[in-house]
Amino acid sequence: MSVLKRVQQWATFARIWHLYDAAWQNPFYSAELLKKYLMGAHKPIYHPMNDCGDHVIVINSSDIALPGDEWKKRVYFHHTGYPGGASWTLAWELHKKDPTLVLKKAVYNSMDGNLQRRYTMERLHIFPDANVPSNLLSNISNQIKQLRPKPKRLDEYTEKEIQEFPKLIDLPKNHILR
Amino acid sequence: MNTIFKQIRNLRLNINFQNKSISLFSPLRLKEINETQNKNELIISGHIVNSGREPYLLKNPHPTVCPVCASGLDIKHTDVLILSQFVRTDGCMLPRRTTGLCRRSQKRISTLVAMAQKSGLMPNLTPANSKKDPKKRYGWKKYNKYFDESTIKIR
Ligand SMILES: [Zn+2]
Repeated sequence: MSVLKRVQQWATFARIWHLYDAAWQNPFYSAELLKKYLMGAHKPIYHPMNDCGDHVIVINSSDIALPGDEWKKRVYFHHTGYPGGASWTLAWELHKKDPTLVLKKAVYNSMDGNLQRRYTMERLHIFPDANVPSNLLSNISNQIKQLRPKPKRLDEYTEKEIQEFPKLIDLPKNHILR
Repeated sequence: MNTIFKQIRNLRLNINFQNKSISLFSPLRLKEINETQNKNELIISGHIVNSGREPYLLKNPHPTVCPVCASGLDIKHTDVLILSQFVRTDGCMLPRRTTGLCRRSQKRISTLVAMAQKSGLMPNLTPANSKKDPKKRYGWKKYNKYFDESTIKIR
């Protein structure tokens, strides 16, 4: 086996660690993206019985974004099994309780319910902020592109940038500034 | 009878015309009103200022249509540098007589401004009693949200 082929063999079967910044991302669209990396479905050698999934480290999961008023419309159901044990939790209440759970459940529910699912979930590491243990951080060799750009707030621009941005309208001359 | 009415109307027109030609303030200038409180007296003073937008104003190549339509931009609710041009310092939308937009654009821009405000993207353009920081909002409103511009319903 030549040196090149040997390295190719390693590279093919090595588990790669990916980084994903969840700030301002929809967790449900992100789940569809992340599950491919977790299951290894982005690899040409993929097969359901081939254990070729990668690790994904998700940071800033507390800053995920939902469209419109979905934070108060989406409901998570749980039943303890006892009579009257049903409970309904709104997405924002669940997120307040644990800022990683909405994304974790989204990834879990995006995958088929088979025996591999629990093992695939083990390769997902979610952190509510950017504080990742350095032993995990040192493994990372790829970053997954965000689905939507993180919007920049108006107070994050400098005074000069705001002033020198091209203006669509000028205020009329009889306008009183308030 | 008719002639009397006509005369009255003419008279009124004349009076109006006269009123227009006489003005106590220097008209057609951008004004800023300042209030300063020292001890027992309140000083309210008006200053004539420059909007500061002239050197950066986009040239409208089609003067018959409104500036937003003429620019041909697909404005999103995250374009806060554009949307902040249409609001007052308290974050409320300027009226159409001030912005000079067409009915469609005015409606669309005001919806986009509302979306940007709800997303907390313009926290420095808010009423004085506002908490400013979107993370301090009540309940579900403190979490990040985004909007789909295709949901804006305009005829
Ligand atoms: Zn227009």
